[in-house]
Amino acid sequence: MPRHSRFRSFEIMQIQPSDLGLIARVATLGKHYGEGAGAVTALDDVSLGLRRGEFTAIMGPSGSGKSTLMHIMAGLDTPSSGRVWLGDTDITELSDSALTVLRRRRVGFIFQSFNLVPTLDVRGNVMLPFELDGRRPSREEQAWIDELLETLGLGARLGHRPHELSGGQQQRVAIARALATRPDLVFADEPTGNLDSRTGREVLGLLAAASARYGQSIAMVTHDPIAASHADRILFLADGRIVRDSARSTPEDISTFMLAMEVAA
Amino acid sequence: MSTRLKDQWTTLLVAALAGTFGVALLHITGLLGAAIAADDVTGGSATVALMLGVVAMVFIVIAIYVSAVVTANTVSTVVAGRTRLIALLRLIGSSARTQRAQIAREGLLVGVAGAAIGVVLGTGVAFALDEIAVANELMPATDYGYLNVWVVLPAVAVVVTTWLASWVGSRRVLRVRPIQAIGNSNEQDREELGRSRGRNASAIVLSVLGLAMLVAGVVWGPTNPVWMIVAVLGGVVSFTGIVLAAHVVMPPALRLVGRLFGGSPSARLAAENAVRHPERSSRMTIGLVIGVTLVTTFAVAMESYRAMLVAAQQVRPEVYAGIDEMLNATVAVFTVLIGFSALIAAIGMVNTLSLSVMQRTRELGLLRALGFDRRQLRRMIVVESAALTLAATAMGIVLGFGYGWAGAQALLGGAQGQIAFVLPGIPWALFGGLLVAAGVLTLVASIAPARRAMRVSPVVALAVE
Repeated sequence: MPRHSRFRSFEIMQIQPSDLGLIARVATLGKHYGEGAGAVTALDDVSLGLRRGEFTAIMGPSGSGKSTLMHIMAGLDTPSSGRVWLGDTDITELSDSALTVLRRRRVGFIFQSFNLVPTLDVRGNVMLPFELDGRRPSREEQAWIDELLETLGLGARLGHRPHELSGGQQQRVAIARALATRPDLVFADEPTGNLDSRTGREVLGLLAAASARYGQSIAMVTHDPIAASHADRILFLADGRIVRDSARSTPEDISTFMLAMEVAA
Repeated sequence: MSTRLKDQWTTLLVAALAGTFGVALLHITGLLGAAIAADDVTGGSATVALMLGVVAMVFIVIAIYVSAVVTANTVSTVVAGRTRLIALLRLIGSSARTQRAQIAREGLLVGVAGAAIGVVLGTGVAFALDEIAVANELMPATDYGYLNVWVVLPAVAVVVTTWLASWVGSRRVLRVRPIQAIGNSNEQDREELGRSRGRNASAIVLSVLGLAMLVAGVVWGPTNPVWMIVAVLGGVVSFTGIVLAAHVVMPPALRLVGRLFGGSPSARLAAENAVRHPERSSRMTIGLVIGVTLVTTFAVAMESYRAMLVAAQQVRPEVYAGIDEMLNATVAVFTVLIGFSALIAAIGMVNTLSLSVMQRTRELGLLRALGFDRRQLRRMIVVESAALTLAATAMGIVLGFGYGWAGAQALLGGAQGQIAFVLPGIPWALFGGLLVAAGVLTLVASIAPARRAMRVSPVVALAVE
């Protein structure tokens, strides 16, 4: 065992995640809640790397720890043990304010619902990350934002408030906001959970296109096999551990594996 | 039941304060009346005692009106926070009407408790003041009976208004749909403005009519004192119109004030938050507007009077000796009596702001996830609080200045034999005091919600329920 752990620390100290083509990485990650008999282990020694420019799906049944993993990787939560990198930055021990700035500049979010600030219109929501940073987008960034809004079909809705938009339109605004700052990584938490299947497919197509066309790295947490089938790579979690790492798969393959996991459990 | 009553403590506090104020004021009026009757010079003059009673009634009515507005607002905010629970009960099969009646019953219960506290405390306060005054020989000892029928009046008024205000405030229970108990349907954040045509029409009629009477009083008041009464009635009528139209008048004022805080994201969101529930923020601020307007009206009229006296004093100093102190004392007493209503309004504001921030936990979490740091969140809430208090104070000062000058012109315009323009006196000390009070209220109202907002973790807030 000593040799093994020495090797591990050597690796952690010397090799930058970017050298491996990774945009985010976690090593020996653990997350525990509570103590004694009531203790719960959400993540148990998870190590993984997300590759730059890839659309990765993180799958697993409810309670598998997939949301906890995403929260920790996005700097929203802190691990009990292990280390977390975003790009080449070790974010494990960053202060709350440093994490806040990191989220503002280098992370994008798309949630299942309640994504948008209800008191801001579409333009205000998309521009929010820049305004929080106290700056205006550069000319080049503005061109990118205009292109995004046009591609997402939001050009005519810039002055609308969230409550005037359909669920699908709201998710498009969330996508535009998440992509606007060209973050290192976009986290999507069940982005289609609240949408009908046709609108859901559209949203997934947009995410896949953002990854394929613009090289945007995306990590999506989902338990929907159809949603996961749009991703380049699928990680399966069960009981806080990674149980499978597969390339692009069909919904049938994914469902079969998920069912097998449920039966085994 | 006990958990449901927990978020009603403000209603209890407000009812108890209004009850205490009403009962104490009635007792004090009675004590003064007894003292006057015992005095050899003024004794037997029933008019003075009657006048005192009428003035006391006016102040009590204002305090109870303000507390009713506060209670209606508290209840409607509480209902908004209980939407999930109400929806669940509706889902199981409870009718909307039962739910609403339940809340009105809570109001009745709280009103009775508040009134009881008010009777005890109010009597105690009046008794203590009387003892102090007699001990210091400011007032003769009288055999005033504390057990009298009149005291029941404010107590009953508090019970009835708290009950009615709960009923009015619980209107939105009827709009809760059972489906809201399931799933995470995006909360319906907009509330339709009270598009009651009757209310808008009467607001316009009262404002226009009152303004016309006020103008007539100002123009002809200096020639004939009868017009003075017209001017006073015009003031009351037009101000009632403005209070009725609060949901139309306050949002633009809030927007304007909100703009003063600049274009940073926290300031812009704060300005939007201050007007996101127009009905709620109008009710939150109108009590303060009423208080500030009345105090300012009185102070401006008195200050104009003082300016005129100062001019006259230079001609005949001996006649006006000592009148300055009397004016100061009158303004001080009036300010304290009205200030009590403003205090009730302020309590309502503190509570409503706190509740509405609590109901925004998810949104605060979203802002944290998107990159708002803790300081920015705190700033957002302080600015929201400042926008509310400043808009109310500014509105009250503007209205009070207008009414105060109109009153001074109608009353004093003809005092020197010919009609003259009365320069409005500016009570700088009062304005300064009001601004300081607004600043203190801003901070007090934002402490608890800001602390809570800074503690919100993005993860907890965004977890799918």
